[in-house]
Amino acid sequence: MTSNTGSVNETVDILVIGAGASGGAATAWLAEAGFKVKCLEQGYWQDPSKYASASQDYEFEMMTNWAPDPNMRQRDEDYPVNDSESPVTPVMFNGVGGSTILWTAHTPRFHPSDFRVKTLDGVADDWPISYDELEEFYDLNDEVMGCSGINGDPANPPRSPRQMPPLPLGTDGKKLISGFEKLGWHWWPSDSYINSQRYGEGRDACNFCGHNHMGCYQRAKSSTDLTYWPRALRSGAEIETGARVRRITTDDSGRATGADYVDSNGIEQHQSARAVIMAANGIGTPRLLLNSASDTHPDGLGNSTGLVGKNLMFHPFAMISGTFPEKMKTWQGPLGNIAFSQEFYETDKSRGFVRGYTYQFQRSLGPAWIAKGGFRDPVPWGKDHHEVLEKRLGSVMAMAVIGEDLPEHHNTVDLDPELTDSDGIPAPRIRYTLSKNSRDQLDHAIENAKKALEAAGASDIFVDPMMRQSGWHLMGTARMGDDPEKSVVDKWGQSHDVDNLFIVDGSVFVTGAAVNPTPTIQALALRTADHIVTNRQDLKG
Amino acid sequence: MATDAQRSSVYEELLDAILDRFIPAVDDLPSAGQMGLTPEIVRLAAQQDRFNGVFENAIEAFSTMNPTFAASNGDQQDDAIRTFESASPELFGALLSIAYIVYYKDSRVHARIGWEGRSPQPDGNVMEPWDESVLETVRKRKPFWRSVD
Repeated sequence: MTSNTGSVNETVDILVIGAGASGGAATAWLAEAGFKVKCLEQGYWQDPSKYASASQDYEFEMMTNWAPDPNMRQRDEDYPVNDSESPVTPVMFNGVGGSTILWTAHTPRFHPSDFRVKTLDGVADDWPISYDELEEFYDLNDEVMGCSGINGDPANPPRSPRQMPPLPLGTDGKKLISGFEKLGWHWWPSDSYINSQRYGEGRDACNFCGHNHMGCYQRAKSSTDLTYWPRALRSGAEIETGARVRRITTDDSGRATGADYVDSNGIEQHQSARAVIMAANGIGTPRLLLNSASDTHPDGLGNSTGLVGKNLMFHPFAMISGTFPEKMKTWQGPLGNIAFSQEFYETDKSRGFVRGYTYQFQRSLGPAWIAKGGFRDPVPWGKDHHEVLEKRLGSVMAMAVIGEDLPEHHNTVDLDPELTDSDGIPAPRIRYTLSKNSRDQLDHAIENAKKALEAAGASDIFVDPMMRQSGWHLMGTARMGDDPEKSVVDKWGQSHDVDNLFIVDGSVFVTGAAVNPTPTIQALALRTADHIVTNRQDLKG
Repeated sequence: MATDAQRSSVYEELLDAILDRFIPAVDDLPSAGQMGLTPEIVRLAAQQDRFNGVFENAIEAFSTMNPTFAASNGDQQDDAIRTFESASPELFGALLSIAYIVYYKDSRVHARIGWEGRSPQPDGNVMEPWDESVLETVRKRKPFWRSVD
């Protein structure tokens, strides 16, 4: 369905593919600057009253109709992902708001060092931009999305005042933090795009239901359908939902002309545009670029280097949980938005690896979630069942390890030769192996997490050395750089090959840092949009 | 040849027997199979085609492997479940997950374990407000992020 009036096939200035974290930000910025923008989104608008968070059967919904893994969710608007050659399953959501519908909204920033890993540590490549160049766009994004947090973190540079105070730590959070304090290790309240008080358009404060990762019934968690999209639509942007893009089209000179897509009625359509912005995530974007091969772009659009789909980075997660003797109602409060530690973030080569990791502190949920093995092994069936359940309920806390996963050429997204979506568009195939450096990081983090949990008083510590369902952070598959031989887009997100093709999602990451990437993705999207506004008025009709 | 109704009845009897071994009686609660949870399990599984397919495959595979399960004694049943768990972990996982989900949404179980059981919406929960004094120690630490200048 088309939200605004207007001919589907009328040429627009900018066509944005994907209405998630980055697509929403770029569309709003460009529309507010007077560009005629249309977005094609394969999913639909979401009704918060129908989220899994509002259902009594939320445990069932989260492993079926609201599963983050599209292969489990299998909605009509999802595409399958062949992940049989990856130990990490990519997870995402297709709809207006994209994966911000199901994210935890834990929103740390990159460190300045993350942009200079080659210079500082001799690995991977430096970014063509610095933290300082991105900082104003981080700030702008914080303002639109709304950040709860507090300044003064010694592990990070000073930053602008947060829009709201931090979310409460809770008895459980304080308990976990006590371990870090005993060890003299860093921790800090998380920056979160969750309202700790009323903020934004019709968005209430968090009610601490604990279900924020299931879609926020309360609209307290920020997602771009609630933040950027209302602004974009007010400024005249158009969004067509249920619109599945088949390929980006080009003219004889190789410039982008728009996109072929299948509309919500199954009818093939073409949308013409003066420029195209890809915002379909680190898997969806390379998939579409590779499926857009033509005579002028025989290896895929923007892929003269062969780097489209290469250097796929996840943040492979380890999860270390412990059981405390106290009953702490651990189901109260956002699941993963208590605090974090970056004690081991920056490189210390004496540890035997380069770069580092973040701990993200985690709560746990209710009895069925505990029984099914949330963050650890399931409660055993049989005679010990009740005793073990009793011990764990309200007492399990965990630490997720987010390690910096460096880019490797052999970690790829390409087109599966057989698997397709329901419209016959080739599905992405993921091939990924964990590097020794990443494994060493995770092992180091696991040992230190055990120490922290024990120092806090936990026992029965359980380690998941790498969670399979953890591929939230999809990065690196169309990297940015100054050298057209070694990158897909320039520092503004503009394709080196096609001057009216831009990429604004996590594909452009040169390296992945060791933090949740969405604030950085959105800051980059705003920066690219701002560049277009300032320097590409030629794209305005 | 068994009709669908006959097969359904056999499968429900089998599921009851499996549930009894999964979650035994405790305090004044009977074992899960005796609590009449099977119809809700079947209803919930049917809410998604993919899951329902896995669930039905699990029941069928288990039934084929263990045609006399319901008539076996407890130890024999536990052995059969463990064998199935090892041989078909995905199918077993689906059975166990939905058994746990339905058991722990039952009001009788809530009463026993003290779980409130209400929908968390829209009321949510009450938490103590943010207290800045918790930062007293960590604020004393000097900045240690790595400068790139």
